[in-house]
Amino acid sequence: MQKRRVERIDKSKRPGSLPYIWKKISKNPGAMAGLILLCLFIVMSFVSPYFMKSYSEVDMRDRFATPSWEHPFGCDEIGRDIMSRVFYGARYTLSIGVGAVFLAATVGIFLGAIAGYSGGIVDSVLMRLMDILQSIPGLVSSIAVVTALGPGLINCIIAIGISYMPQFARLIRANILGIRGSEFIEAATIINCSTGRIIFKHLIPNSISPIIVQISLMIAQAGLTASTLSFLGLGVKEPMPEWGSMIAGARNYIRDFPHMVIIPGIFIMLTVLSLNLLGDAIRDALDPKLKD
Amino acid sequence: MDNTEKATEVLAVRDLVVEYSSDGMPVHAVNGVSFDLAAGKTLGLVGETGAGKTTIAKTIMRILPDHAVRKVEGQVLFKGEDIRAISEVVMRKVRGKQISMIFQDPMTALNPVKTVSEQIAESIRLHQGGNKKQAHAKAVEVLEMVGISADRADEYPHQFSGGMKQRVVIAIAIACNPEVLIADEPTTALDVTIQAQVLELIDKIRRELNTALILITHDLGIVAEICDTVAVVYAGQIVETGSKEDIFDRPTHPYTRGLFAALPDMYKDVDRLSPIDGMPPDPTDLPKGCSFNPRCWYAADECKKDAISMTQVGTGHFCRCCRVDRIEV
Amino acid sequence: MLLYIIKRLLLIIPIILAVTIIIFTIMNFVPGDPATISMGGERITPEQLEVLRENMGLNKPFFERLSTYLYNVFFHLDFGVSYTTGSPVGPELLVRFWTTFRIAIAGIILTVLIGVPLGIRAAIRANTVEDRVSMFLTLLGYSMPPFWLALLLVLLFSLTLGWFPSYGSTSFMHYVLPTVCVAIGGIAGLARQTRSSMLEVIRSDYVTTAKSKGLTENKVVYGHALPNALIPIITVIGSQFGRLIGGVVVVESVFSIRGLSVYLLNGINTRDYPVVQGSLIVISFLFAVVMLIADMFYTYSDPRIKARYARIKKSGDKNAKAAG
Repeated sequence: MQKRRVERIDKSKRPGSLPYIWKKISKNPGAMAGLILLCLFIVMSFVSPYFMKSYSEVDMRDRFATPSWEHPFGCDEIGRDIMSRVFYGARYTLSIGVGAVFLAATVGIFLGAIAGYSGGIVDSVLMRLMDILQSIPGLVSSIAVVTALGPGLINCIIAIGISYMPQFARLIRANILGIRGSEFIEAATIINCSTGRIIFKHLIPNSISPIIVQISLMIAQAGLTASTLSFLGLGVKEPMPEWGSMIAGARNYIRDFPHMVIIPGIFIMLTVLSLNLLGDAIRDALDPKLKD
Repeated sequence: MDNTEKATEVLAVRDLVVEYSSDGMPVHAVNGVSFDLAAGKTLGLVGETGAGKTTIAKTIMRILPDHAVRKVEGQVLFKGEDIRAISEVVMRKVRGKQISMIFQDPMTALNPVKTVSEQIAESIRLHQGGNKKQAHAKAVEVLEMVGISADRADEYPHQFSGGMKQRVVIAIAIACNPEVLIADEPTTALDVTIQAQVLELIDKIRRELNTALILITHDLGIVAEICDTVAVVYAGQIVETGSKEDIFDRPTHPYTRGLFAALPDMYKDVDRLSPIDGMPPDPTDLPKGCSFNPRCWYAADECKKDAISMTQVGTGHFCRCCRVDRIEV
Repeated sequence: MLLYIIKRLLLIIPIILAVTIIIFTIMNFVPGDPATISMGGERITPEQLEVLRENMGLNKPFFERLSTYLYNVFFHLDFGVSYTTGSPVGPELLVRFWTTFRIAIAGIILTVLIGVPLGIRAAIRANTVEDRVSMFLTLLGYSMPPFWLALLLVLLFSLTLGWFPSYGSTSFMHYVLPTVCVAIGGIAGLARQTRSSMLEVIRSDYVTTAKSKGLTENKVVYGHALPNALIPIITVIGSQFGRLIGGVVVVESVFSIRGLSVYLLNGINTRDYPVVQGSLIVISFLFAVVMLIADMFYTYSDPRIKARYARIKKSGDKNAKAAG
């Protein structure tokens, strides 16, 4: 038999793999712009305390200062420099967004996989629970949970995560129901694979594509919800410079000092926009049906 | 081309070129196709998947996806008039009424939210006028012509089986008595037993209505059954054309001969089948000269240089090979 | 068909029941003594506090309180009495529900009226400059925090131009800005979803079939493509409603509208449990009803699904079995 040199598989040609996703995203100008912007925000968030005024330094002489060289974004109602606050504040929106979605995905996938694979009573009960959770609109259920747990970063993540969980559970359950009867699952069962192993090593990896898409689309949404919660006074509170609570604080001065409201909002918008652009690009890369 | 010839030709395609654009790359789908179709006759357009047959059909109907198409050249003469040059408004009167098409996949060709009679009546009302009742009655008639009973006329597509859906598609196409019918692989998606029925139906209707038929297929057996003339398509070009007898008894082009040689022979006992070596060329990157030359056992240097033109090898029998006179038949 | 509607309506009841129970339970275990709260900071002796607790029924066992509450709500529509104001929660809920409902409905109608045509147009002109620009604008609208947008609108239209009032809910003019605000977020999402749904449908074979009949582009798009594209779009409208409610919550807060969500938020801040419970229940009910309506549209527009629930005609039944 002739020996044939095994060709190195070009990983970037394999749909669904990381190099493939990267290759597709790098061709999308919007997504790249978004990615760069996000990296910029993350870096600034960590680096800014070192070379800017502290975000909590109060100087009453500078109250309500409009943008100038010394304070490029102006000052708020008690003289704190808005630029340093805004840069620092990126960490809240981003961490809550990412944290909540990953929490929702992990728990949702776990529950949904069990429901999908087990079927019967387990499935019914779990899905009813998801129904109930979904019958309360997202923002409202987050509000309810934050009320029970109290304000704060971690509680925000938990609250938003819980409200997003059903979507992941349903997604993975639908996928699993679809492939449950497949022969490779039969084969795994026949060789005595444990249920857990089947779920985690076979069922879940094959359903991962739509999950990745869902994750990338929801991080942006979660970021928005996070800032909304803070705006309503239920999330990250003063004196933490979370963008939503900054806007809430500036609300009463909007007529005379609109910059206090406008600037943090622009940052929220840019962050969410970047996340959306990235999410769209990932979705286009993984779901050929949606390509134009 | 003198006038007596033109009189019997209901459709004539001249030097058709179609280029798509995919991911920025040009796709040369059709590269200079010409053929004639006489009134009431059947032309078989034979070729592998991807050879460009469906594109030819869609170009004739002018239903190419506009956003992906880069270039379309050539003429399509319907009863002497170039329908590529007329306006879209006028073309709409031709589509569905004088030239219509039967599509390949019956499962997706019908609108899921409309009843089958509605879909046929729509065409009738558009081209022949009349109110809803009249159109519905006529639609039912057409359905019976294709073998679907009247009491199923108001059902939805999902309630029919694959073969019956295809009959509905045929009904839509013939509802207005077209002069030219293009059938794009009408039986490929069906079970073998149903295939024969549907084919018979198409042939019967063609004879009853005296419609000219272009039958697109990759199945030589179907061609043998109902076609009068045959054109073999490869890489967007017609490589051989002639009457059915010419192609089946005296195949000339190496590709055509390869096709026939690849067919299993019922009377011979062989160990292996003999397919044609190699793969059809990538339409974004066609070989220089004759598109078939990389796979042709007979190729020589002259085949790799310039574009090859048709050579006559018999009455009405043409072959696109520059070494044809040296091939033993 | 009727059977299906009734079945779905009945299904709402257990869900609302479950939601009520869960909310009551959560509120029960949250720190804070309702009796103390209801005193609003007035000084009170421990004995008086104990008497108050007894009067408010707070010393009864949990399940007894739960069943009393459930009974009151479901059979008498009695949501209890507010801890802070002392007035009954039910009637207040009704008034505020009506206000919120009007904004929500107006928002949905505006969203659909603008969002769907926008999406269709973008799909027809896919990949042109117009398409890219409008899709970018909708993405921008989708990324804007709704409360920020509300404040910007107030800044521009109320404070600078003076066209609309910036708070209150007494006249029609008061409703314009809030509705627009709610709608913009929804339009962005709906337009994008409509576009991608239409694109998918336009590439379908049956659209090619329709074109090959010689129909005009309008007829193909609106007569063939759109009815099929609507099916997933309706589901999206249903799910967008969740986001819409979130938008209404924000809008009521920014524009100081006496609506349901402000009632809820105040209740949360003051730990006024009857108010919180009542509001959450009503919101969930509203949500469930809207979902049901969306579902009904969905079922109606897709004959494949309608067929499952409609009465099958005799002959159709026979033939359906024969065709298999």
